[in-house]
Amino acid sequence: MSTFLARQSPRSRRVTIGMVVLLVAYLASTFGVANGSYGTQSLVLVAAIFAILALSLDLVAGVTGLYSLGHAGLFALGAYSTTLLNSKFGWNLFLLLPLSIAGVGIVGLVLGFLSLRVSGLYFAITTFIFTLVVVVLLSDFSFTGGLQGIAGPVFPDFPPGLAFLGSSVAWCVGLSLLVTIVIIWSIRSSPLYPVLLAIRDAEPFAAAAGVRTSVMKVGIFGLSASLAGLAGWAFSFLGFISPGQFSWTVSVNILVMVILGGINTRLGPIIGAAFVSAFPVVVSIDPFLQEVIFGLIFVVVIVFFPQGFMGLVGSLARRIRARFRPTAVVVEAVEDDASTPIAYAHLAPQEAVSTTRALPAVDEVALAAKNIVFGYNRGVLALNNVDMVVKRGNIHGLIGPNGSGKSTLVNLMSGRMSPNSGTITADGVRIERLRAPARARRGVMRTFQSAVLVRELTAQENVGIGLYSRFPGIAARSPIWPLLMGARRDSRAIAQKSIAALTSVGLSSGWATTRVADVPHGVEQLTQLAAACIAEPSILILDEPLAGLSSGEVEQVSEILRGLKRAGVTVIVVEHQTRFIFEMCDEVTVLAAGELVTTGTAADVRANERVREVYLGQ
Amino acid sequence: MLQVLLSGLSIGAVYGLVAMAFAVVFYVTRVINFATGQLLMVAIMLTAGLSKAGLPDWLSISVGLTASTAAGVVIYFVAVRPVLRFDRFSFAWLVSTLGVAIVLQSAAAIIYGPTSQGFPKLLNRDNLVIGGASITLQELLAIIVAVVAVVGFEIFRRRTLFGKVGMAISSDPEMASAIGARVTAYAVAAFAIGGLLAGAAGVLIGPITYANPYLGDTYGITGFVALMIGGIERPAAAMGGGLVLGVLSVGANTFIGSQASDWFPFVVVVVVLLLAPHGLFASGDALKRLASGIGRRTATLKGAN
Repeated sequence: MSTFLARQSPRSRRVTIGMVVLLVAYLASTFGVANGSYGTQSLVLVAAIFAILALSLDLVAGVTGLYSLGHAGLFALGAYSTTLLNSKFGWNLFLLLPLSIAGVGIVGLVLGFLSLRVSGLYFAITTFIFTLVVVVLLSDFSFTGGLQGIAGPVFPDFPPGLAFLGSSVAWCVGLSLLVTIVIIWSIRSSPLYPVLLAIRDAEPFAAAAGVRTSVMKVGIFGLSASLAGLAGWAFSFLGFISPGQFSWTVSVNILVMVILGGINTRLGPIIGAAFVSAFPVVVSIDPFLQEVIFGLIFVVVIVFFPQGFMGLVGSLARRIRARFRPTAVVVEAVEDDASTPIAYAHLAPQEAVSTTRALPAVDEVALAAKNIVFGYNRGVLALNNVDMVVKRGNIHGLIGPNGSGKSTLVNLMSGRMSPNSGTITADGVRIERLRAPARARRGVMRTFQSAVLVRELTAQENVGIGLYSRFPGIAARSPIWPLLMGARRDSRAIAQKSIAALTSVGLSSGWATTRVADVPHGVEQLTQLAAACIAEPSILILDEPLAGLSSGEVEQVSEILRGLKRAGVTVIVVEHQTRFIFEMCDEVTVLAAGELVTTGTAADVRANERVREVYLGQ
Repeated sequence: MLQVLLSGLSIGAVYGLVAMAFAVVFYVTRVINFATGQLLMVAIMLTAGLSKAGLPDWLSISVGLTASTAAGVVIYFVAVRPVLRFDRFSFAWLVSTLGVAIVLQSAAAIIYGPTSQGFPKLLNRDNLVIGGASITLQELLAIIVAVVAVVGFEIFRRRTLFGKVGMAISSDPEMASAIGARVTAYAVAAFAIGGLLAGAAGVLIGPITYANPYLGDTYGITGFVALMIGGIERPAAAMGGGLVLGVLSVGANTFIGSQASDWFPFVVVVVVLLLAPHGLFASGDALKRLASGIGRRTATLKGAN
């Protein structure tokens, strides 16, 4: 641990110094713009407001995978509400700042709640229509000034003592962008970031780790909407506002900024916003020809450079690095190759799960499913009146031929689905109506037959997702994460625990920092196991943990299971390798065609005539 | 009342054809071609331009329709196929098809100028009076073309092997290509049919709207709204959405006020999206879906309490 800190500290100090330098440079350039010419100001301020919008859109589109086309509409609400409430009712502009942030945020929450019921495409369509509706309303009402629009409020100048700062509007916009950058970059550096990527790429995995994915999606969209409200508030001070400035093409332009600059990157949205805003000013040719070129840029970038500007820079940087350090790269590659077969660290089973729970009495029931009936469609039942009682601290096997209902039962126990009838209790509490994240929070964790993790994150970051429910307030603290002492401590704790969990499933530290996209299947499965173990579950459900593993890796998993049992964890394991099942399990339940065949000790079940007949084929 | 119905159905047929153009492409490729409205515009502008240059109407119309069909195919190869190859599940096509839309629209504005031009009158001269309501032959033609398009497409989809393979591709392209379906050929066909339907909508509406480079925007959005009202999953449902929207818009204009059709479609689509997110005709029986939609919503609300 001390070596870990010694390795990290100088780096985090460098990051802090870098951030302070960046902040000073930012404030200095804001000062420059505020004292600059009118032309510079109008160009930079519009670009800065679109940078706010692009950053807020990247949070939902790039990070969370929700392609919102509603940002122009939300932007319009912020600008129009500020303008109208100020000019018609004389509300104070600084009172309107929190009001438009909160108000537009609430609109975003409602819009998200209504549109995220169905699917990602439906969300894009609904938000698109939201923008259309907002623009139609703004154009058709008279109090909004109709198509001609309305003059925005005048932002108060600095008092005489501060007049040297220059234009107050420039500072207002500059600080709004700064706040947005702080919030977005903080989230990106917080433990929430891997969780959001998991919602985008591996939703069942996130839910199994205790993340309420649908609540999170709505919440993130709400935050993004409130930033769009902030952009609208600031935009209203730039002069005239009219419906044409918020049409659906603006929504698309914001998305284009994000993609041009580089989706899911820190700087990409800002660069994209600067480019798209500056383009018509810098390239001043025939407006129609300009539009043609602009449209062509969309298509060319999407088709040839889908990773955008930052992606180009990244691949260029890699190529340059490769040119200057050719030998080093080769050595790295060789090292990676040499590590197959998987280089497991020496096992430390007693650390496998450092659960603090007292060892319970053996006969106590940990999980009981009673009279479970479930059918995917009307008519055909996948499970018909099935019972399964798992004693605490046992390893309980669940076997049966393909299609017998094992995975269905696992999904019912872990909360992906709820039974038509019957009860499931964990630690004496009824859980059959709870959703997966709620069950994970009660200590019922699971793994999946084939791991779907976040491929662009390292194994260590993926495992850290498993700790989401164990550290309170990650989501609430994420917008100012690096500024909080406790949060930084939590970050370190999560990193350490993740490495420890990977070690405990036998993965050497080299794998911890490798992207999951680059690891072999076995390592991915063990990473998934580590992500489930790290949250110290009381009941762990493993769905075919051996699928696709080599014989050495199977021995590895057996060792991990023994370690879990010693730590008092109740394990339910679905598996086809009967030798493994009968060797490892205390009790075994057998299903066939959705019905219970038998349940009992491993030896009894193995000797059972019907089991031999329906499953073992002896 | 009958007048509202007839006028509504004829304008609704045009909306429906545009919606169907969206839906046929979506059905096979899971892509929404946001340049669909601009394909309608391409057909209108070319037909108007050629007819002004002295070509006979039938020839200008044929060239216009051929051009919109070809443009649909070009969009597939330029803006859709490359991005689907990179990532089949991303929404990158949204931006690339919109890029094409901007290019087409601005190019038309450069070539023809941004103002409206004449369009051949076609059948718009002759009126037919049915039970006190009058309808031009052009409007009648729109309804007939819409019916032919829906019936033809459904027969094609259900009764021919080509159509059934199309259904297979729509549910799982990788599986379908594993059994030997040429996915690319189907996608090309879908974009071509989409271009043809949008072009047909253009020729049908041209005599009323005249030729303008920005028509694509207007009809693209209205067609898209019709698509969402009817349901995106089935082309026939999209046509249904168009007809419903047409009748309701004309009704709103007649009974509410002359500008009502500007905003009324959006009210309709918001109500539909709230009550039946998959569209009115998604599962055949609109009322049943509505009822079950309301039931589900109350259940959710109760659950929340």
